[in-house]
Order: sequence, then C-alpha cells, then structure tokens
Amino acid sequence: MTLRVPLMVRIAALVVGTTGLYTYIGQLVPQKQVLPPQVIELPDDLSTQDMIPVGQQIFQGKGLCSTCHTIGKGSSAGLRFPDLDGIGSRAATRIAGQSDLEYLGQSLYEPDSFVVPGFNPGMPAMNKPPIELTDQEILAVIAYLQSLGGTPSVTMQTKLRWVEGGS
Amino acid sequence: MTRGKIVLGVLGALLALVATVRVAAWLVRGEYRAPHRADQAETTPRDHGLTDERAADEKADQARPYVPPDYRAFPKIGSRVAVWVLAQLHLLFAAFVLAVPLFAFIIELIGYFTGDPRYDKLAYEFTKLLSAAFSLTSTFGAFLTFALIALYPKFTNYLMEIFSPTFLPYVLLFFFEAGFLYSYYYGWGKFSPRVHLFLGLMLNLVGTAIMFIANAWLTFMMSPAGVSEKGALLSLRDAFMNFTWMPINIHRMIANVAFGGSIAAAYAAFKYLQAKTDEERAHYDWMGYIGNFVAISAFLPLPFAGYWLASEIYAFSQTMGLTMMGGAFSWLFIIQAALIGNLFLAANYYLWLGMGRIEGAGNYQKFIKYLLIAIALCFAVWATPRSILASVSEVRAMGGSTHPVLGYLGVMSAKNTAVNILILSTFMSFLLFRRTGKEATVAWRRAGNLAQQAIFFGAAAIVIFFGIYGYFVEARVRIKFSVPQVLSVLAAMVLITLIDVFLYRGARQTGQVRWGKLPPISQYTLIFIAVSFTWLMGLMGYVRAGLRQHWHVFGVMRDESVDAFTPTLGFATQVVSVTSLVFFALIGFVFWIASLTDTHGHGETTETA
Repeated sequence: MTLRVPLMVRIAALVVGTTGLYTYIGQLVPQKQVLPPQVIELPDDLSTQDMIPVGQQIFQGKGLCSTCHTIGKGSSAGLRFPDLDGIGSRAATRIAGQSDLEYLGQSLYEPDSFVVPGFNPGMPAMNKPPIELTDQEILAVIAYLQSLGGTPSVTMQTKLRWVEGGS
Repeated sequence: MTRGKIVLGVLGALLALVATVRVAAWLVRGEYRAPHRADQAETTPRDHGLTDERAADEKADQARPYVPPDYRAFPKIGSRVAVWVLAQLHLLFAAFVLAVPLFAFIIELIGYFTGDPRYDKLAYEFTKLLSAAFSLTSTFGAFLTFALIALYPKFTNYLMEIFSPTFLPYVLLFFFEAGFLYSYYYGWGKFSPRVHLFLGLMLNLVGTAIMFIANAWLTFMMSPAGVSEKGALLSLRDAFMNFTWMPINIHRMIANVAFGGSIAAAYAAFKYLQAKTDEERAHYDWMGYIGNFVAISAFLPLPFAGYWLASEIYAFSQTMGLTMMGGAFSWLFIIQAALIGNLFLAANYYLWLGMGRIEGAGNYQKFIKYLLIAIALCFAVWATPRSILASVSEVRAMGGSTHPVLGYLGVMSAKNTAVNILILSTFMSFLLFRRTGKEATVAWRRAGNLAQQAIFFGAAAIVIFFGIYGYFVEARVRIKFSVPQVLSVLAAMVLITLIDVFLYRGARQTGQVRWGKLPPISQYTLIFIAVSFTWLMGLMGYVRAGLRQHWHVFGVMRDESVDAFTPTLGFATQVVSVTSLVFFALIGFVFWIASLTDTHGHGETTETA
C-alpha cells in the first residue's frame, strides 16, 4: 500500500523547500552588518604624526576610499582607479605650481578638476553627501596620504582654500 | 374659675410641652444622623503642593507646541521590516497585475488574427487570475501608504512635498485601470472583439503609466535630481525623470512579464496536476507551456536591461555603484547567480521534457547533453566569487583571499561571458523545441541552417573573444566590452529567429504534439521556476532599496532611525523568504478564487451529454 501525499501538501513542500534552499544559500555568504558612519571628533592639538593613523582609519572606513583605491597593487593597468602607493611624493609633481597639500586638498574637495590620465572621472567630493567628511577629517586623510611615500606636513590648524577662512 | 387658676393652667401646659420635647429629644438621640461635613476641605501643605503641581502640568500641557515625530516604532519586527514586507508584497502583486494583461492582450490579439478560439480561451483563463490579484494589490498599496505615514512621517512628508502634483494623476489612472480591468474581464464575449481589444490595450497603457509614476517616487529616493543640496525642490521634471527612472521602468516592465508568466505557468501546473480528464490536462499543459514561454522570453533580455540600470547607477554615483558591485552588496550577486543559474537550468529542463511530448523528437534530443554541459559550466563560472571565505591556513596556502586559478573566474570578464553563453544556450533549447516534429521544406533550407549555425557560433566567438581580451586591458577599456558582447547575443537571437520563421513556414509535420502527456515532474518544475522568480524579485528589490544604505533619499535625507544600518545578507534573505511564502499563500487564494468560476453554482446541475 502506497501513501498518497495530497497535492496541496506536495506543492507547499516544494514552495517551502525552495525558499528554504535560497535562505540557506544566503547564510553561506559573508555576513556583515554595515553601520552608518559616525563623525570622528578630532582634538585641535592633535600632532601631525597622530593624524596619520586617524586618517588611515577614515580612509578604510567612513571615507570609503579603499572601496575604489588600492595601495601597493602595482601599475595602474587593470585598475579602475589610481593606486595610491607613493602618492605622498607624487602629489607635488602632478600639477605644475601646485603643492602636495593643495593637490591632495583639490582631489578630495573637487575631484573632477583634475583626473589622472588613463582614468575616468567618478570620485565624489568628500565633503558632500553621501560621504560628508568634515574638514578636520579631510585634514587627517591628507596626513595619511602624505605619509604614503612623502613627509606629512599638514596640521589640524591648516586652512585649505575650500574651507571658510582658508587660503 | 379664678384668674390664678388660669395662669397656673397655662404654666402647667408650657411645662408639659417642654417636658414632652425633652423626652422626645431624649428618645431620638440614637437615631442615624448624617456626618458633619465641613464646607471646605481641611488642606495640608502636601495637598497644596500636589494641587500646584497638577496646575503647573496642565498649564505646561496647554503651552506645549506641536512637534511632529520623525519616526514611530512598529512592535516586535521594527518599522523597517514592516515596511519592507508590505512594499514587497505590494510590488509582487502589482507586477503580476501589470504583466498578465500584457500577455493576455497579445494572446487575444493572436487569436483575433488567426481566428483560433483556443487563444481567446487561453487569454480569458489568464485574465481570470486578475480580479482577486488586483484587490490584493490595492490592499497592500493602502497598507504600505498608511505604514509609511505612521512609521516614517517626516520622510513621507518630504516625498509628498516633492511629488504631490503627481498624486492626482496617479489616483485618476488607478480609477481608470479598475474600470478597464473589470470591463475587460467581465466584458469577455460580450463586446465586439475590436472593442474588447481596445479595452485590453487601454488597460495596458494605463497600467504602464501608473507604474511609471510610482517608479519616479522610488527612483528619486535612489538617485535624486531636481533638488538643491539641502533637498529643496528645484525642478519636478528633473526629480521625476531622474537618472535611474527610465532604466527601472524598462527593467521592471520586462521583469514583470517574466514574473507574471511564471506565476501564470504555475497556475496552469497546479490545474494540470488537479486535472481529471485528458482534455483538461492537454489544455493546462498548453497553458503552462505558453506561460513559461512568456516568462523565459522576457527573462533572456533581462540581464541587458540590468546592465543599463547598473551603468546608470555608476553614472549617478560611483560610490553607489561600487557599494553595489564591490562593497557591502557584492556577495548578494553570488546569491543572485545561484538563483539565475537555477532558473536557466529549470527552464531548459522543462523544454527538454517538453520535447518528449512530440513524436520524432530523437533528432534533437541528442543535443541536450551538450547544452547541459554548457549551461552547467556557465552556471559554475557565474557563481564563482572573486574572493572566498577561507581559514588562515587556507589563505596562506592560496597566497591571499583570491584562489590562484578560480580567482580568475570571479571577475566581470568571466561572468559576462558566462551569462551571455548561458542566454545563447537557452535560446538554442527554445529553437530545438520549436523545430521538433517539423521538417523544413523550403528550397534554401540547407543554406538557412548553415547561416543560423554561422550566426550562433559567430556570436559565441565574439562573446568569448572579448571575455578573454578583457584580462589584458585596462579596466576603463574592459568595462566597455560588455556592449559588443550583449549586442552580438541580441543580434544573434533576432537574426536566427527571423531565419527560422521563414525556414519553417509551411514545414512538413513529422510528428504530432501530444499535449497533456508530460510527466508530473515537469509541472513541479514550473512551480519551482515561479518560486525562484518570486524570490529573485524580492532579492533584487532589496538590493535596489538597500543601496541607499543610511539614506532615505540618497545624499539628501539621512536615515536617523534605529534601523539606519545595512543588515546582513543572511537576515535579508530571511525576510525575502518570509515575504515569498506569504505571497504564495495569498496567490494560492487567488488561484482558488479563479478556479471557483469553473465550478457550478449552488442549485445548478451539470449538463450531461
């Protein structure tokens, strides 16, 4: 004697089984909960050397810089955005008459004013939504970028020209 | 009587009266008396304090200004999940209600031009599913609106301020849609065919317009335009026709047809499995075949619409694009690959099973194994992640999180190639199915076959060439390679179909199609496809909305609620699954309502032959 499972039960089992399978697949991939970025309060008396690790933290986290930029992945071939290894020394030579500080500031506040040859524009202004870094956070990022092959010179008192009262 | 006696008598009487009063007063002294109550309560300093406090509270209450809340909490599951589930259910039913009239109208049109009544009957059968589904769409739409107003008042108010001019047209169109839908359904066979077709056409036009308006609201949240940096409206036209509006319109229209076709095919499968007679089985087998044909035909160009949407997302915001493909959501596309791979496999399996119902299918069945190998390989490549989860020792052994060999398959060059070959292979399955049981009789049949083969292999060669070449060029060059890949596959499908139509015009029939002779597994495959489509819709709906991350309106209005974080993919898939199950419970109700029209009413008797 064979047991006949009612049609509705068979269909329900198929529906539940299929959704169960896809739910299971969903549990197999990496599970990461992304929290909204928090404003990092930086003290005015932070030294340039202390700004570097803070800038690195912002680079890898709130600033989302590492989503596009690599550091030390070799030549630009195959990359969608410039590799930033050595940017600290390269920044002063990108645009004639522009210091590394000005160049890095421009790259963060007005990224479309100069696009590295071989790449497409696409970087958002860091001080505007959706990333919205504060002026202080941008200074810390500049300190970190200067440290990549160069000598950090930015301080918490530096006033860039994009900041009110800056020159 | 003397005067003295009179005086004594009066005094005696007075004394007797006084004595009587005193005695009476003495007698009633124990009787109940109301307690003495003071006119004013005796107050203590504490009482004074409490009174003052109450007065102060009352005064403060009266002086309190109206401060609208930004958010309200939904019990147990939270506001976000509540709105998420309601929105998804509304969209699933809306997709169904928009899609079914589209292909019902086309099928009716075919019936009108060919004069074959089977098509008319089939179109009516599809339309039967609409009535109850339309009510459920409206119900969930109302639920969603109330939930948004109640749970996200500040955000909803902002959207209403931006888009209020679109509300009246939306409501009017909705009213017209109800009119056209019910007159289309209940007027079947009662109007002249041309009038009825006109109703069907209007139903589709109005439904599409409704979707376009609603899409403007949701795409504005994703890629806002026409507003200042602070969110003030500058141009309603720009806000309406924002970056992702038209790509979403096209993507949704195609996806709706694929989804609607699959649900209609699932209905046919359900009826097939319930069928008692060969005639019923033959009818529902055919209906299931048509529903699946509609679903897969729409599914094939869907990835191309997806490319366009993705490129518009990148054009709007590189940050959002990279979050989608390289950030928090990159692993979601591995889940998507598993789903789409399953859909392709199931769709092909159904077609291959279907070849079995045609006499003389052996000529073409020998090709199935090669198609299966191609599809399985493409599926595997598409589902290969760029970086894999591994233990520390495994990472050391691989020299990084990327596998030294498989890592090459995780990049877009490989994935684009895989999906295009997958589409070509499925298209070939369709072609083989179409040819089964027929023999071309035109004089140029050999040349025609050769031309089709040349186009097919030519397209495959172009796809593979650009796939390999992509590894040797810069990223900015490589991302443009998807265009020739896509165009070659689209062109191949159009050209091969065109040749096939003329090649098999007036073809000799070598075998009959035995409708209703499919094994039950084929019908369960159709239900599996419908569930997979539903789940896929839920997943992709999540990624579209989730890309905004902690923004209600990306870059304009920040999400300040307790839910302003992106949940894990595991959690998201659980919500998608629960929503899908609720949808299937409700669509089962729709099927049941639709099947009631097949049964006899109370007191009616079955007409016997």
